[in-house]
Amino acid sequence: MPEQPVPRTGASGVIHDLGYRPYDGPRNGSGTIASALFLSGFRNAFGLGRSGKSKVLPFLLLALNLLPAVIIVGAMTLFNANELPLGYARYASATQILVSIFVAAQAPVLFSRDLRHGSIALYLARPLSSAAYAVARWAALLAATLVFLLVPIVALYVGAVLAELDFSEQTEEAAKAALLAVLLALMLTGISGLIASVSVRRGFAVVATIAVLLLGNGVVTAVQGISDEQGELRVGEVAGLFSPYSLYRGGTSALTDELFLTPPTGAVMTAAYFAVMVLVGIAGLAGIVLRYRRIAGR
Amino acid sequence: MEQVIRTRGLTKDYGSVLALDDLSLDIGPGITGLVGANGAGKSTLIKVLLGLVPPSSGEATVLGLDVIRDAAAIRARVGYLPEHDCLPPDVSASDFVVHLGMMSGLPRVAARERAAEVLRHVGLAEERYRPMGGYSTGMKQRAKLAQALAHDPRLVLLDEPTNGLDPAARDDMLGLVQRVGQDFGFSVLVTSHLLGELERVSDNVVILDSGRLLRASQTRDFLDATGTLLVEVIGADAQTRMGHALAAAGVPVQARGGLLALDPAPELGLDVHDLIRDTAFDLGVGLVRIQADHRRIEDVFADA
Repeated sequence: MPEQPVPRTGASGVIHDLGYRPYDGPRNGSGTIASALFLSGFRNAFGLGRSGKSKVLPFLLLALNLLPAVIIVGAMTLFNANELPLGYARYASATQILVSIFVAAQAPVLFSRDLRHGSIALYLARPLSSAAYAVARWAALLAATLVFLLVPIVALYVGAVLAELDFSEQTEEAAKAALLAVLLALMLTGISGLIASVSVRRGFAVVATIAVLLLGNGVVTAVQGISDEQGELRVGEVAGLFSPYSLYRGGTSALTDELFLTPPTGAVMTAAYFAVMVLVGIAGLAGIVLRYRRIAGR
Repeated sequence: MEQVIRTRGLTKDYGSVLALDDLSLDIGPGITGLVGANGAGKSTLIKVLLGLVPPSSGEATVLGLDVIRDAAAIRARVGYLPEHDCLPPDVSASDFVVHLGMMSGLPRVAARERAAEVLRHVGLAEERYRPMGGYSTGMKQRAKLAQALAHDPRLVLLDEPTNGLDPAARDDMLGLVQRVGQDFGFSVLVTSHLLGELERVSDNVVILDSGRLLRASQTRDFLDATGTLLVEVIGADAQTRMGHALAAAGVPVQARGGLLALDPAPELGLDVHDLIRDTAFDLGVGLVRIQADHRRIEDVFADA
């Protein structure tokens, strides 16, 4: 039987339509997925991985927030100062407007966008539970806020060490400021995240967050000023429990030598300040988790 | 045969509204059309199957997994295309599908490869690198389909994939759904409130009405030939003459648009096809086609 000639095709220049290829590689568990969501959220908070336009605001705010620290360090080296003109912990109070704008503007990036564009449905149809989604988003905003608060502290600390100020004293002060920054970031993340997760519109979330943070602080500061003048210090101390920035000032007064109006006096009041800071943070996170649980059940 | 979706006495009660009412379904592999008017419970059923909404009573399994206990495992192996908009306008389809692939558990490198692959399959070429805000509705639906396929699911739930599309884009999307089910080998549950478009692509059809099962069977059972023949000849005048001639031969005939509908007439004892051919030849009219008249899925509602 004669052999059939086998048609030969050239080794190159042939396009094969491979059709659909199934995936049989590894699949990650919830922990890895959640950390991927955290990482992309953290990057998105600074506009990374998004359009060029969305990088402008966060980096502009970051630069403005760092500017005073750079000036202070420069002036300190120039005039051979023997202490920082602005303490580590006081720095966040001095730049609270920038901090407020940052969290108000960037919380909607993490919380409102998915609600507004409906992409939350795609996340919820994936393995992560609504609670894991909420915690990953919350952690991303917390980390971004911490970076925002800690960068100037690090800059001041490096400057102080290079200017050969007392190393152990500077380290202790910077560490206290870092702890206070964590508490402040917990409160700001809880409040701004909760507001952003309730509002679908970014503009509303921005305005509402700034109103709560800055107007709240304004009212509390006014009450504290009056109570200080009238000698009713206790009123000012209690009023200080009602705004994140006054809580932060109270905590700063308790931990450092910085002086603010009507600082908390007595162990109970001081403990109350720290307890409320932590509670505000926890309540914010709990609110966000509940909010997404409700969305998932719709 | 393994059931892809199985429900028993599934009920979902939203207080005043009974979205699903004692629904018992068995859906096997292949493409299944889920049909019902708006508010018939299609979307609620999908949410229960994804483990997002707990049923009020009854039970359901997807791919053999319980919707309450194994919800995360189900969601890892199921793709979902929601009915409403779900695409952020400032992100490219490529970045978005990579991200969502990772959210389904793919490692980053695999997610990139899969995204490129599924975007090619759904027909998004260069535009995949552009922000999705500038996409047409058809392109958006393709991007939504791509994200549902990104993680190589075993079952895809497509909620109204043809919603808002013009007729050409609708045909394209139905063709894609058919490819996903036949060439890719996924099981597909596709919903629509239009019955007609599902008869083309689906192997089985499930009809829901007010949260209850109206009918579930193979698509071809819906489309049984009725016995009626449709005849088309060239020209309105020729049609009239043809109709009279056939009626004279004793065949019940009606004009239906540009066609003549011939009801079965077994008592004549002759082959109607031959009669049509001979009559057309005798009259000298141009015979275009003779076809069997199939039922349409809509008729099921008329019967019910």
